[in-house]
Parts: sequence; C-alpha cells; structure tokens
Amino acid sequence: MNLSINKPLLGLVVLGTLASGVCAQIQLPGAGTRPEAHMPAVPPVSVQNPFKPFDQPRFEKAARELGATALQVKTFGEDMAEIGAARAADDLLRKALPKFDEAVLAAEDRDPKAALLLAKVLVDTKSPLLQAHVRYHMARLFLSSDDPERAIDVLNEYIGSNINHSPLDGEAAYFYAQSLAEIPMIDAAIPRFNAFLAWFPEASERLRSAAHQRVLELELQKESRLHMLADGMKKTTRDLRKKKTDKPVQLDQEAYLEELDELIEMFQEMEKQSSGPASGLGPSNSPAASSALPGGEGKVGNLNKKPSLADRWGDMRDSERKKIMADVQNTMPPQYQKMLEEYYKKLGKADRK
Amino acid sequence: MLRFLQERVNKKTKATDAEAENNPLAQDDYDKISKKQARVKELMRLLAEKLGKENGVEGGQ
Repeated sequence: MNLSINKPLLGLVVLGTLASGVCAQIQLPGAGTRPEAHMPAVPPVSVQNPFKPFDQPRFEKAARELGATALQVKTFGEDMAEIGAARAADDLLRKALPKFDEAVLAAEDRDPKAALLLAKVLVDTKSPLLQAHVRYHMARLFLSSDDPERAIDVLNEYIGSNINHSPLDGEAAYFYAQSLAEIPMIDAAIPRFNAFLAWFPEASERLRSAAHQRVLELELQKESRLHMLADGMKKTTRDLRKKKTDKPVQLDQEAYLEELDELIEMFQEMEKQSSGPASGLGPSNSPAASSALPGGEGKVGNLNKKPSLADRWGDMRDSERKKIMADVQNTMPPQYQKMLEEYYKKLGKADRK
Repeated sequence: MLRFLQERVNKKTKATDAEAENNPLAQDDYDKISKKQARVKELMRLLAEKLGKENGVEGGQ
C-alpha cells in the first residue's frame, strides 16, 4: 500500500481539519507574504506636514474666478459652519459649474458616464482648485469600482499639483490611505492614516473615527498571515484582469505557494504538539462578559440596494455604451483616453450583483 | 486544496503569458484566469475568517 501523501492533498487535509475547528486556538508567527507586482508609485510620507491650514479668502477668490456668484460665495461661508468646509466648498463649485455638478451627480448615481464626464471637466480646466475637486471625485469613483491602483494614480496627481487649494485636502489624504489599504499596501497605509489623524484634527468626526478604526484593523490584519495571503491574492486577481501575467505577477503567485507550504508545515507541527481534547471543543478563552445581544442596528442589509456601476453599464443600450467609448476615443488626451478605456473595459467584465 | 488550486492558477498564468507573446489574447482569456485566482482568494478568506472566529489574533478583519 502506498502511504505517501502528495503536498496538495496534504494541504487539503491539514487546512480542512483546521477549518473544522480541531486546532482553533492558533498563533501564526512569521512575516507572511505580500504582493509586489505592479504596485503604484507611492512617495514617502513627509515628515513635515505639506498641508497648510485652509485659506478661505484665497479659496473664495479662486471660486469667483471660476464663475461663482457673490451670493453663492456668501452661502458657502454660512454653510461651512453647518456642514464643514470640505462639503460646503464642493457644493459651491457644483452650484457655480453645471458641468462639474452633472459629473458629480452621475458619480453619485453610479452612472457609468461619470468617469468620462469628470475627465472632460478635468481636461477643460487649468484651475488647480477645480482639478482638486474633480480628482477627488474621480478617485472616489475608482475606489468604489474596486480599482484602488487607479485611485492612487489620480490622488498622486492631486497631491503633486492640487494641494492647499481646497478644504478637500483632508478627505483626499484619508482616501489616499484608504486606497493603499485596499491594494493592499498595509505598511504604506498605516502611516498615512496616522498622518491624516495628526495633520487634520479638524476633519469630520466620521472620517477621523473611520481612520482610527482602519488603523486598528490594519494592525490586526498585519498579524493575520491568512488574511494577508487572501489580500495578496485579491491584488493578483486585479492584475490578471488588467492583462498582467508577466514575471512580477508570477513571482507573487510563487510566493503564495511558498506561503501555503509554510503554513501547512506549521499547522502540521502544531497538530503533532497538540494533545488532549481538541481546543475547539473546550470552553472559549474569551467568553462574553454578559449574556446579551450585541449592539448595533437590527437590520439585515439594505433591501433596496442601489445598482452598481457595473450593473448600470450592463443595463445600458449598446448604442449608449458605444457613444461613451467614442467620446473617450475622440475627446480625451492620450493619458486619460487609456485610463478611461481600461476603466470601461473593466466595468464591462465586472461581476454584476 | 488551496495549494492545488493556486498551483493550477500559477501554471495557467505562465501559459497565458507565453501564449500572449506570440499572438495577443482576448480580454476573456485574462478574465478566466482572474476568476480562478478570485476563487482561490475567496476560499483563503473563508478559511481565514473561520479560523478568525475561533482565534482572536487570526481574526484580523
């Protein structure tokens, strides 16, 4: 009888056994593996804060130059106290610039035309203030379409050319860190969340709480080799969808195999060392302090979920999709043409909910 | 199983890369490998979450 077990089968047995809870209380030492292929260029975090406090008179002057009326600027001043400078500034530009408003509305409505409309506004303006707002919305759009690498590209342009013109800087800094976390570039994301917290004490409580929460989650994520491996595979999934099958991607995939081998060996070792009843069958190491329902709202998801961008793109008529693609090819400069072509191709291939 | 599945995706990626050198491939070909990689990722995540529920440290997300 042949008793030799090949590695793939062993992997199934060992990891499967673990998943069934036989060896639940585990610690997994080691650095884990992280993808390295086709990472976006990310400048180092500045030691000095590059962001200056919001200069309201300068902003209002730039807004007037873009066509904002005296009344709109006055309303902005009043709205700032109520909804915050970032939202009030964006509202002001939307009121003053109908094309920008149309593009942002499309983005909010998950209309596939949004990326093209935003790019058109960006191409047509030389104002660093308007560029900042357009790039912010583009980055949010890409991030919500599971494309954090493209969001980073756009936010790099924001940071390179548009900071210190708009009170949106804080939000841009937050979403820069968020995009890095999504890639996942966890080691780059954590210091940027911390920089956001240090440099933008006046940012909205919603964003500051989210940043604190994300730092905690990412610190834990760094300790979880299994989640780290899944995060790396997610990045490679996006690479493959973008037709990247070259050596750097293959090296990442080889590293996943090595990591799986290492984990399997580690689990085998732990299996050997374990004795007595399976820990998964014993009492919990961290029982609840009281027998009560967890806090939080009692609802099961959003029953009226908005259709995704991919859904909307898929539901469009062929003629509408062709018109958007023709617009991209005929009206965009080369760098945005390539970016938008890839974006729309990806939308067409995305899983529809 | 995870190792076996990842190994298959790796082989397919290499083969696709080699094939693309001779003649350009359609987006569908890349989407197929991407979906295979996504399935391995989902299994990996499920395993991480299952273990995470039973272990404080491995419950990183």
